[in-house]
Amino acid sequence: MLPTNASSNASLVNIKCSINGAELEVKPGTTIIQAMQDNAQKIAHYCWHPGLSIAGVCRLCMVEIAGNPKVQIACNTVVTEGMKINNTSEKVKDAVKWGLDFHLINHPLDCPICDQAGECGLQDQYMEYGKYTSEMAEKKQKKQKVVDLGPTVVLDSERCILCSRCTRFTDEVSKTHELGIFNRGDHAEIGTHDGKQLDNKYSLNTVDICPVGALTSKDFRFKQRVWYLKESATICNGCSTGCNVNVYFNKEGLFRVKPKYNSEVNGYWMCDEGRTIYKFVNKEARLLKAKQYKDNSWQTEIPAGTAAKEVAQLLKTAQPEEVALVLTGQNTLEEYEALLATFVTTFKTKNIYHWWPQVAQAKDFDGLLLRGDKNPNTNGLLQTFEKFGINTEWPNLEQNLKSGKIKQLVVIGPENLTVYDDLKQKISLFLQAEHLIYVSSVKIAELESREESLEQSLEQSRETLKTVTLLPMKSYIEKAGTFVNYKGLAQTFKKVTTLVSEALTGTELAKLFAGESLKLEVLKAADLLTAVSSTRKDQVTLEHSKKNEFVFNRGRL
Amino acid sequence: MQTLDLTEETKYLTKETKYLSEFYHLPEFKGLAGYKNKGGYQDLEKALKMPPQAIIDEVKASGLRGRGGAGFSTGMKWGFLPKNNEPRYLLCNADEGEPGTFKDRMMMEKAPHQLIEGMIISAFAINSKKSYIYVRGEYDESIDALEAALQEAYKAGYLGKNILGSGFDHDMDVYRGAGAYICGEETGMISSLEGLKGQPKLKPPFPAIQGYLKKPTIVNNVETLAVVKYIIRDGAAHYRTLGTEKSAGTKLFSLSGNIAKPGNYEVPLGYALKDMIYGMGGGFKNNKQLKAVIPGGSSAPVLNAAESMKATLDYENLAQMGSMLGSGAIIVIDDSQCMVQCLANLMHFYHHESCGQCTPCREGTGWLDKISHSILSGHGRRQDIELLLKVADNMKGKTICALSDAAALPVISFVTKFRDEFEYFVNEGKSKVKGTAFKGAPHASH
Repeated sequence: MLPTNASSNASLVNIKCSINGAELEVKPGTTIIQAMQDNAQKIAHYCWHPGLSIAGVCRLCMVEIAGNPKVQIACNTVVTEGMKINNTSEKVKDAVKWGLDFHLINHPLDCPICDQAGECGLQDQYMEYGKYTSEMAEKKQKKQKVVDLGPTVVLDSERCILCSRCTRFTDEVSKTHELGIFNRGDHAEIGTHDGKQLDNKYSLNTVDICPVGALTSKDFRFKQRVWYLKESATICNGCSTGCNVNVYFNKEGLFRVKPKYNSEVNGYWMCDEGRTIYKFVNKEARLLKAKQYKDNSWQTEIPAGTAAKEVAQLLKTAQPEEVALVLTGQNTLEEYEALLATFVTTFKTKNIYHWWPQVAQAKDFDGLLLRGDKNPNTNGLLQTFEKFGINTEWPNLEQNLKSGKIKQLVVIGPENLTVYDDLKQKISLFLQAEHLIYVSSVKIAELESREESLEQSLEQSRETLKTVTLLPMKSYIEKAGTFVNYKGLAQTFKKVTTLVSEALTGTELAKLFAGESLKLEVLKAADLLTAVSSTRKDQVTLEHSKKNEFVFNRGRL
Repeated sequence: MQTLDLTEETKYLTKETKYLSEFYHLPEFKGLAGYKNKGGYQDLEKALKMPPQAIIDEVKASGLRGRGGAGFSTGMKWGFLPKNNEPRYLLCNADEGEPGTFKDRMMMEKAPHQLIEGMIISAFAINSKKSYIYVRGEYDESIDALEAALQEAYKAGYLGKNILGSGFDHDMDVYRGAGAYICGEETGMISSLEGLKGQPKLKPPFPAIQGYLKKPTIVNNVETLAVVKYIIRDGAAHYRTLGTEKSAGTKLFSLSGNIAKPGNYEVPLGYALKDMIYGMGGGFKNNKQLKAVIPGGSSAPVLNAAESMKATLDYENLAQMGSMLGSGAIIVIDDSQCMVQCLANLMHFYHHESCGQCTPCREGTGWLDKISHSILSGHGRRQDIELLLKVADNMKGKTICALSDAAALPVISFVTKFRDEFEYFVNEGKSKVKGTAFKGAPHASH
């Protein structure tokens, strides 16, 4: 028999307990609610949040501990050796039912006009524990209905259950201390301190953690009913932190972004800035078809594939030193590899440049999540450069464009233009090439519009400029890939959905430029799988989908 | 129901045992000179020569139980402090807010030095260098008396550095509350003292481990701390001769309500409630009769007349009767009172004073207030009586502090013991007690 590897350090010995009959081992100091959450056991709760301090005020997470006549709250009770816990007995159910009733007696029950409906903690728990007729015959407490807390969040005090999650968030996480609970008893209301507004870079997290419809996002409210939205996990491409997020979408496009827990990256939170990424992914902002400027006029509505093949012809006939490629830190690792492979091996050029927005200070960091490098994959780009032995300086590009040494310039432009303040200036530089191929997922007003400014800049470049080709690119939501974040952590994400069917990924472009045709093999299995069908754990049984499917998801957090 | 025959008055005990309040009648007892004349600060001198642990042991042996309401053993509470040199605080809870209670006020106004001396001895015992007296905001005279006494004590060297050459340093301050009932709850008081909203803190950790400014803290009532001086003076053995086995010593009782002679009375624990009412309190005026007694402040379950005649004023007997000694506030209710109205009045108080932190209390107190006022206004439904009981039952023991229980327990006792009055009101739309027609009374509001 092999000797068992018993732990020598007593303090590290796990504690044995049983929860609802399941024998578990937990680390010393674990609370019951944490143990239940870690082991996929359902427990009703409102005020407890794993990323915040323990408030113990909603009194909903009741459990029965063998040997204790009174039900206890799970959030402030630490598991001890041999503890027998259950939260499925009639006693617990009755306690939760009453706990819920106290939450509901003054609740306005305005679900039909409430934005939280469908993902509301009160609705979820009512379906689980309630389903009774209210005995409250008295008049409900009236409170303020539409309180403008700041630029991002609206408060409805009547819906508020005073769980204090939002005040704890501003005190403990954002440390901005804007929110407080004012007045006493059932007159208590959330509010901001004198003259202050809820205005910080993380304010919308309060909306995420609000278990009811009290705090709603000004950006999202009334846009969509949540049950018409699908949810899918991806990475935020707003900065080099690479927060894990869930995006919510339907065939009309994306509607909102919420953080997804990752202890290595963003914990439970994300910044407000990252929540705007859906705006440049949606169709309204996108370049839908290829366009070409040739012989002093624009030709539009060109199929992207046709345009890309034309570009391939152009590049094929060019001298290696005449071809150059410009990349930003906004594409995936896989795209960089494919593009560099094409340019280095097929076109035999190492004229590959890194477009770095001048404003960005890579080292800037706000201490929580926001980083100065607003590109999700600068590290990935630099890694690929190293792999292919690319060592170029931006001034060389400027010089070679001016001297006419570089004639065919391919630019894979950034997706998130808001952080590229130098766009206009850079484009007038690019227009010094003979043939500019600009690949972009978003509309580029600087190139496309018929405004005078554009005509002027085209006029100026007219002596040398022969063609401008605009190619539509897939946004990162529409492709699978890998981002390498600021600390070198490679995070692979799956395709969420397709919004612009004609747009091409960097990998597809690399193939087309190299003269290959797009075979189905390019579309790897991973590209076809959407995160919705592969990672949603709540679709485990039919039973769950029959019920309110949000119960399962939200019951765990 | 016990009828009172005035000729029988002599049958009831009328003797007070003035142990703490021996010199309260002397105006000069308030000042340092007068206090010292009557043996003031001698016990401090004695205590400073004792090992601190010996003081704790003596208090433990005396059987002294907290006089603020919970009745927890004082010596045991002190024993929970960590055995190290971490700074710790002693807080005196003088936020006397329990309806019916007015004993601490008298103590602070008549004998501020008594409290200060008791506190210095207690602080020495638990090795605390700083203490605060948290006084209810409305108690102007108490605050003035304490401030003046503190100045005198500092001048005389009873406070400050190296007290009476013992090497023990101690500073004491008065902190003025703002009149919230919840700040009388010890962790609510700590929050308030820290400058936060007066809301009780989640336990564990208990204040003895992590209290004021996250340091070990002991919170004791005014009367408790004052008694410590006398335990040092007379010894634990003598203190135990007063009162009963499990409820040692004397206690100040605040007698109020429909009684001929309301006031503060000091008696040994175990004293009969009927003696308090008919003896000390002088019975009822205008031939009214005893209907009910709230024996320990408004949170204590009510006793009916028969129970009141049997009850003795000590922790164990009242607990046995399903009520509690609480802060020792005896509210006497005669037969001219409507119990529905009494309960509605109490519920208004708890609704107003709930801090709003825990949902069952925040919503439940308001609900109880609304239901009881709805009955009082003549619009009660038959099911409201059961609903009162159900709501109260589900508020009990479900919250961070005891305010929820304090609201729930009176409801349960009022409705079960005087159910006839509630049913009459619901059925007839008016009070069973003549002359207290409250039809159309305003709805519960602030």
